[in-house]
Amino acid sequence: MPAASAIRTLIVDDQLTMRALIRTSLQQIGVRDIEEAPDGEAALRAVITKPVHLVISDFNMPNLDGLGLLRGIRAHPPIAKTAFIMLTGRADRELVQRAVQYGVNNYLVKPFTTQQLKEKMESVFGPLT
Amino acid sequence: MSDDPFEAIKATFFQECEELLGDLETNLIALESGDTDIETINACFRAVHSVKGGAGAFGLDDLVRFAHVFETLMDELRSGRKAVDEDVVQSLLRASDVLNDHVTAARGAGPAVDPDRSQALIAELETLTHGAPVSGTDADAAGDMDDDFGFTPVALSLDDFGAGEAMPLMDLPALDLPPLDLPSLDAPVVTGGEQTGWKIIFRPHPRLYANANETALLLRELGRLGPISVEMDDSGLPSLEALEPLDSHLVWTIHLDAPVAELDVRDVFDFVETDCDLSIMSVMAEGAGASVVSDSLPDLDDGLPSLDTGAAAEFDIAALVAMAQADTASRLGGGGETAPVAETPKSTAAPAPAAPPVAANNATAAAPAAASAATAPVTIRVELDRVDRLINAVGELVIQQAMLAQRVYESGLARSSDISLGLEDLELLTREIQDSVMAIRAQPVKSVFQRMPRLVREVAAMTGKKVKLVTAGEDTEVDKTVVERLSEPITHMLRNAIDHGLESPEEREAAGKPVEGTVKLAALHRSGRIVIEISDDGKGINRQRVRSIAEERGLVTPDQILSDDEVDNLIFLPGFSTAQEVTDVSGRGVGMDVVRRSIQSLGGRISISSNPGKGSIFTMSLPLTLAVLDGMVVGAADQTLVAPLAAIVESLTPKAEDIHLVGGVDPVLMFRDEFVPLVDVGQTMEFRNEPTELKGGVVMIVETEGGQRAGLLVDAIHGQRQVVIKSLETNYRHVEGVAAATILGDGRVALILDIDVLVNTGRRRTTSLAELKMAS
Repeated sequence: MPAASAIRTLIVDDQLTMRALIRTSLQQIGVRDIEEAPDGEAALRAVITKPVHLVISDFNMPNLDGLGLLRGIRAHPPIAKTAFIMLTGRADRELVQRAVQYGVNNYLVKPFTTQQLKEKMESVFGPLT
Repeated sequence: MSDDPFEAIKATFFQECEELLGDLETNLIALESGDTDIETINACFRAVHSVKGGAGAFGLDDLVRFAHVFETLMDELRSGRKAVDEDVVQSLLRASDVLNDHVTAARGAGPAVDPDRSQALIAELETLTHGAPVSGTDADAAGDMDDDFGFTPVALSLDDFGAGEAMPLMDLPALDLPPLDLPSLDAPVVTGGEQTGWKIIFRPHPRLYANANETALLLRELGRLGPISVEMDDSGLPSLEALEPLDSHLVWTIHLDAPVAELDVRDVFDFVETDCDLSIMSVMAEGAGASVVSDSLPDLDDGLPSLDTGAAAEFDIAALVAMAQADTASRLGGGGETAPVAETPKSTAAPAPAAPPVAANNATAAAPAAASAATAPVTIRVELDRVDRLINAVGELVIQQAMLAQRVYESGLARSSDISLGLEDLELLTREIQDSVMAIRAQPVKSVFQRMPRLVREVAAMTGKKVKLVTAGEDTEVDKTVVERLSEPITHMLRNAIDHGLESPEEREAAGKPVEGTVKLAALHRSGRIVIEISDDGKGINRQRVRSIAEERGLVTPDQILSDDEVDNLIFLPGFSTAQEVTDVSGRGVGMDVVRRSIQSLGGRISISSNPGKGSIFTMSLPLTLAVLDGMVVGAADQTLVAPLAAIVESLTPKAEDIHLVGGVDPVLMFRDEFVPLVDVGQTMEFRNEPTELKGGVVMIVETEGGQRAGLLVDAIHGQRQVVIKSLETNYRHVEGVAAATILGDGRVALILDIDVLVNTGRRRTTSLAELKMAS
């Protein structure tokens, strides 16, 4: 069982509010090592420089959206296996399907509870301690 | 601020909303003016989407419901399924107004939004989206997709990180992903071969040395774990001329020939881990090379250090970003059609070697984006309270510095003494700190200007006039307090300009003017103040009417000779209102005199100049800050007073023969071939009843905001000083002729004169030159 505290996580969202909310939820789950990026491009640069275990990313962002980020990560061998949870603002089947093609690990519809986030993370990493 | 993290985030959300709504407005206006660029539409979508996202998190249901419908329409426009036309843009603008109101209501800063109004607009937006209003709640507003999709999460076993197996991707063609070098979450999993030792690449940051750590000591420590061999790479060392001595240029590669635990190796670097790039690799018996178990080295190429990897990595990143962006663009541009499913995974599967050709095509495209990202200023959010405490402390510092300077001066120390020189440096430094602190509070007037298009729309709709609002100088910065208090007078003057200034479309047509009237709102810096101009191309001021009303109300006498400008400025007098009937728009009992007073309370002035048939210009001038003032310290009737330096033109010792009487009552001073009215400050302020002795008195020639000159008669001028403004209203009450108070270097309180009021009351009150005891 992986320890939540060992999962280095990058939060990607153009909204400060959402980043703060996700960070708070992650902290409640027990994640300690949390980085933030305001858009896909910054996130891609960040994960290449300093790999993470998990990226939690919004879809709709300037510069590079969530799909672009996912695609960039999967296309770069050293980080291609980074776990990726996509946040979506609404039930967009097409978007989720596209994300699946690009290798998304899971997705989460906003608004979400800490418990929902934890479940999504556990579906990827297994039960967290 | 609350301790509840949720409440704090909520406060952040509302702050962010304000920015988002501002962006939305700006982009909608751009749409309105014909800029239907996909990025503009996208930016609108994102703003609404983000407001909705945050609102959902906080359970603001009304806001979510409205934002959702708004977002859905934006999505239609974004995808090109619906064309952006004039009607749509007008609906969007109205929707943006209602969204604004919803946010204000949610924040508790305004009344709840009228449900009918909100519902009517929802219906309007839905009609645009679907061709008819949608009955009932939209199911997917808050729906969960799990059930609909049958989505299977893709599990990762972290223990297998680095094992190199392809990721299971449901039943889609598996991506041929190369192995991963990500760290395992558990203890280092060493695959294949027996571990014989460690290869450590260590690149200290300058901070490591700054924190008093030393490479040699770390190496010695490593040496205790087992035999080590050390290579130092000095290829990054610049030539002596280019050498920055405090930078770190060296990279060490250490081979530790002992199969010790990774933790032991890590322990050595425990205290410096954040101050260096560190890569710890296990070395296998087969000589299969090192496998990375540490990840803090930013190098991409297998952990091999070379000092230009930074640039190489940058290139790779730029190429990768460009590739990802290119893909995104093609996907977004796809209109309504479904994406070519078969094609994309293939390119996704293309491993890294495919990147360089892409890079060649896209690196240039990516470069400007990267550059703009790099130049974007880094900001932090700070509670205003903290800034204000700092400003207050700096204010006290200024006062203390002045008091110290005064003491030193009084002690009779020579000007060339070390203490005096040190004090001068201190003064310069204090000024610099003060300026920097003031700059923290400075904000562009944009936040106020952004709210005006909505107002103009509403007023135009109410009056049936066609109006175009042009803004300029939104980036002009001014103190936050000033920005906040600008909103009301600007609102009022804009209303006034549209309601009273602009003609109806028919009148305009008849006058040969474009049917659409133009109102311009501009901000600019002028001689240490901010000037806001509101101009219109309407009919201008009807001077005859203004004059007759003023006479009717007894504001002027029929025989008074007034210049055109003076007539125009009569509208600022209390109790003056030119509206023939009280209109819904500007005739709410708030006259221009109220506007003038609110501006005056900010230390500002307002004036109007009008050109009949062509339009009017209202000009407001305000100080950039309400915290400090450059002043002239003067004495009058044993009182120490401060006159704002900006108002002073010149000071002089008057001669008896230069003083004349106008109409036998009003004393005037002959100044540069011009008569200026003379105001006795001591008497006007009622510090003493008898007039000031002219003998030994000094006259300061001052100029009011309206450009009117007068001479202020005082006993003595003490000197020029920067003073910290303390509000008299807050600490005492408003006093006619006094703008504020300050504390002087000697600790005494001094009043800051309100020149305009003083000049106007002084002219009325100084009764007769005969009472002035002339110097004999």
